[in-house]
Formats: sequence, structure tokens, C-alpha cells
Amino acid sequence: MAPLRRWGPVATLVVLAVLPWGLARHQLSLLTDLLIFSLFALSLDLIMGYTGMVSFGHAAYFGLGAYGSALLLIHFEVPIPIALLGGALGAGLVAWPVGYISTRATGIYFAMLTLAFAQLLYTLAYKWRALTGGSDGIAGVPKTALWWGGPSLVEPRAFYFLILVSFLVAFVLCRALVRSPFGRALQAIRENERKFATLGQDPRRFKVIVFVIAAALAGLAGALSAPFRGFASPEAMFWLLSGQALMMVIIGGIGTLVGPAIGAMVFVLVQEVLSSYTEHWMLFTGAIFVLMVIFLPGGIVGAARRRFAA
Amino acid sequence: MPPILETRRLDRAFGALRAVADVSLVVERGELRAIIGPNGAGKTTFFHLLSGVVRPTAGQVLLKDEDVSGLSAAARCRRGMSRTFQITSLFPELSVLENVRIAIQAKRGGNTRLLGGRALLARTEAGAREALGFVNLEDRAAVPASTLPHGDQRLLEIAMALAQEPDLLLLDEPTQGLGVEETAATAALVQRISRERRLTILLVEHDMDVVFNVADRISVLHFGRLIAEGSPAEIRRNVEVQQAYLGDMD
Ligand SMILES: Nc1ncnc2c1ncn2[C@@H]1O[C@H](COP(=O)(O)OP(=O)(O)OP(=O)(O)O)[C@@H](O)[C@H]1O
Ligand SMILES: [Mg+2]
Repeated sequence: MAPLRRWGPVATLVVLAVLPWGLARHQLSLLTDLLIFSLFALSLDLIMGYTGMVSFGHAAYFGLGAYGSALLLIHFEVPIPIALLGGALGAGLVAWPVGYISTRATGIYFAMLTLAFAQLLYTLAYKWRALTGGSDGIAGVPKTALWWGGPSLVEPRAFYFLILVSFLVAFVLCRALVRSPFGRALQAIRENERKFATLGQDPRRFKVIVFVIAAALAGLAGALSAPFRGFASPEAMFWLLSGQALMMVIIGGIGTLVGPAIGAMVFVLVQEVLSSYTEHWMLFTGAIFVLMVIFLPGGIVGAARRRFAA
Repeated sequence: MPPILETRRLDRAFGALRAVADVSLVVERGELRAIIGPNGAGKTTFFHLLSGVVRPTAGQVLLKDEDVSGLSAAARCRRGMSRTFQITSLFPELSVLENVRIAIQAKRGGNTRLLGGRALLARTEAGAREALGFVNLEDRAAVPASTLPHGDQRLLEIAMALAQEPDLLLLDEPTQGLGVEETAATAALVQRISRERRLTILLVEHDMDVVFNVADRISVLHFGRLIAEGSPAEIRRNVEVQQAYLGDMD
């Protein structure tokens, strides 16, 4: 385990850094997509894995981030970092009241509230044609530059590195967060919320804060996706994506950060491969998911840890 | 100096059942007060009302002369009241040390540090180790709380409460499920806490040997009502108390 711990991250980084030169254009595009979903799943793990709050509506914040950055890029042609910041902040801002209300409930009721709010936001995106373009979404989102007058990010490799760096920054932040006093409190809340409350602090405050942070990071993933794909559409907010995010986290290993990032890659890759063979690919991803939950409790990372600990 | 704790006509009904009925009681600073009563007498519910886990249907709780009836459990804890639960309540997957550290940080408010906080973690660790030492669990600091045997888990929960340096400590049957030796050790521990830590203890306890050995005063609940209060000697002689317990037998 120790050598894997030490060299695993370094090797992964090196591979991710040189891979763009060894991949065909569409492969690089897929890898970029994988990183976006990794970031998205990572953000869900903060609330789901570390705080025990299962959200059925996490896609809403991905979508909000996508719309936020798409609007900023199309109407104001701001540099990419500002669009990213805008998307993340927008998602976090909306998540605040949603989190505040949803955390009045716990367990399945919390999950239902997050789902209800997400569907509400989805409907809003679908109906508010003037702003969102309705079911067509917003097309033609440009890849602008890093700063005003700076070099453009149109080149696929440039955009890949933008996303890689965003992912790494988010990952390091999340890791610091879960190891901080705040992160330890989150885990205590997950373990025993009533006990935490009798120890002197209101768990709800913590839950709202982490909900907002997770939403902002999901928003960041969405904000990256809009210029990368060139569009933002209501599908990005649909509950299907929320459900898939749950699967990514569980497949990879809940409450491990690195697990959900890997889980997202595996999930999207499997989906990509299967969908090129059959239109019934959802059937197979479903079956794979069931098998993994039964035979790999703790997900990929959980299994790896058991293997190397033994 | 005002009493550390006072209840005024405290009442809690669950439907038709009055689990706690019209209980007015005063606890002075530094006392070790036992709360006894047959099964279902309302002792745990009384503790829940004091600590804010359950809301009263009527009456007040005063902590150091302040009416805390409307305050959350968290707010009461910050005002100096720490408690343990009859059914051990820990953070099972977290390490023994982490359990105590969370307790300290929750009380001092350091838990909201989002990033870093290394210095803070180190400082609370010292306090946590000290509390673990008090209950002889320092060498188990690194293992997950769930892997401790039952008796040690109960000690850990006491250590968590102690680490918060409360003025008032509520212990709900700390000897529950313990063997004879462990029970004696826990009784001695409770006495040591009372003497060395200059805090007030409310102790719910079934084991009458423990109660009569360690308590300064005893309050007796029966069907939610406070039926007697006095020194161990007085309670031993009290006819109504004897009947309550005899009635429980048959
Ligand atoms: N949440 C609840 N809902 C309904 N009834 C309850 C609830 N909590 C307690 N009761 C009832 O209130 C009464 C008092 O219960 P409580 O647990 O306070 O007694 P106790 O003195 O602590 O008993 P024990 O010695 O067995 O721990 C019991 O009849 C119990 O069934
Ligand atoms: Mg009880």
C-alpha cells in the first residue's frame, strides 16, 4: 500500500500530463469529459461520503454552473476563469437557500427535497426560453482566453490542461477540507448527528456550508463543460445525471475523494464503450452497477485498500 | 450563589403518558446527585428535557439561573452542561482520539475552521489525550471507537463529556451492561470526577450499591413524579420509595 500511496498520484499526474500528445483528437475530447465528470462526482462525495447527506439533485448545480458560464461567455465574452468563477458562485448561491431548507429534513426526506428543488430548477431552465433557450439550450458558447487579450483556449490541449488544473485544484482543496477541523466535524455528523448536536454545535450549519461548497464545485464542473462542449442544455440539470453521479460515487468508493473521481471515469468509459455497441447500454451499466455494489462493497478504492492492506 | 440547576414544574407527555410529571427540583453546585426510580420512571426523559434533546410540554429548566428551556441541546452544552447517553452514543468509525477531539472543538467552536487548522488540531489533541488518560484509554487513542469493548466505549463517552470541562455533567446509567468489577471501577471514577474536577454531577443509576455509596443526595422518580428526595440514609428509610421499588418487583 505504501508505495502505491506515494507513487500512485505522481504516476497518475505524469500520465495525465503527457497523454494529450499520445491521443487522437476524439480520445482527448473523451478524456477531457472524464475529468469534468470526475470533478462533478468529487463534489458529490463531500456531502454524500463525508457528511452522509444523500442528494438526488446534484445535477442541478452542474447545470446552473453550465448556464452561468455559458451566459457570461456569450453575452460578455469574459475570460474563461471569470466564467468559471461565475458559474461556481451562481450554483453556490442557489444552493444556499436550497440547502437551508432541505437540511431541515434528514435521510430520505432530505434526498426528496433536493430532488424536488432540482426538478424545479430543471423546469425553470426548460421554460425560461428568453434566458436559457428552453429545450434547445444555449449553443455556440465560445472558448475565450485565459485573460483579456490573452492566448485563446481553442486548442484542445490547452482546454484539456485548463480542466486538468481545475480538477487538481478542486481535489487538493477537497482533501484539505476533509482533513480540516471542519471536515472532521462533517464526518462526526455523518456518524451520529444527535450526539454532535449535544456536544455543542448545530449540525445544520455545517450541513448547509458543505452543501453550498459541494454545489459550487459541481457548478465549476458545469461551468467547464459549457465552453468545452460549446453548449448548455437542460439535460445537464435532469435527475438522470444526479442519479448517475450517485452511481459514480458508489462505484469508485464513497467517502474517499479519489474513488468518486475514478468511479466517474469508469462509469463514463463503460457507457461510451457500451453505447457504441448497443442502444440498450443503460441495461448493462445498470447490471454492472448491481454487480459492483454486491461484490465490491466500498467500491474500487475500498477493494484496492482491502487488497493491499491484507 | 444561585443553584447550578433548577427545574420548575417540568412536564413531558407522550400522548396520554406523562413520562415526566410536574418535577421541580434544585441541584446545588458541587453536588453528586443520583436520580433513581424503577424502569420507565422517566429518568432518561428527564435527562433529555434537561439537555434539550426533548422539549417539555410544560415547565422550565434553569441553568445557573438562566432559563434555557427554549435553547437547543447545542446551546445548553455551550453553557456548561455535558451529558452521556444510556445507550452509548459515539462516532463509531472515527478514532477514539477523534471522538474526544470533536467534543472539545464543538465546545470551543473550532470546528468551523475550513482549511488547515493544524495548530488547532494539535492543541485539541493535547486536551483529548489528557481526558483519555483520565479514563485509562490513552493507549487506545488510534483505534476506531467501534472496535472498543462495550465497557471502554462507555468510558470513552464519559471522557468526551469530561473533555468539554462542563460545570454540570449528566450521566445516564454509566454502569449499564458492565460486569461487577467494571461497575465498581466506574463508580470509583464517578466519585473521582466529582472530587477532582469540582463539577456537579447528576447520575441516573440502577445499581443501588453504587447509588448509596457515591451520591450526596438522591431524588426518586416514580411514574414521572418526584416522590422523594434526601440523603442516602433518608431515602433508604423512606417507605414510599420502598413501596415504589417493591411494586416494581411484582
Ligand atoms: N419518545 C417516546 N415516545 C413515547 N413514549 C416514550 C418516549 N420516550 C419515553 N417514553 C416512555 O416514557 C416512559 C419513561 O421512559 P424513560 O426512558 O424516561 O424511563 P427511564 O426511567 O429512563 O427507564 P429505564 O430505567 O428503563 O431507563 C416510559 O414509559 C417510556 O416508554
Ligand atoms: Mg433510562
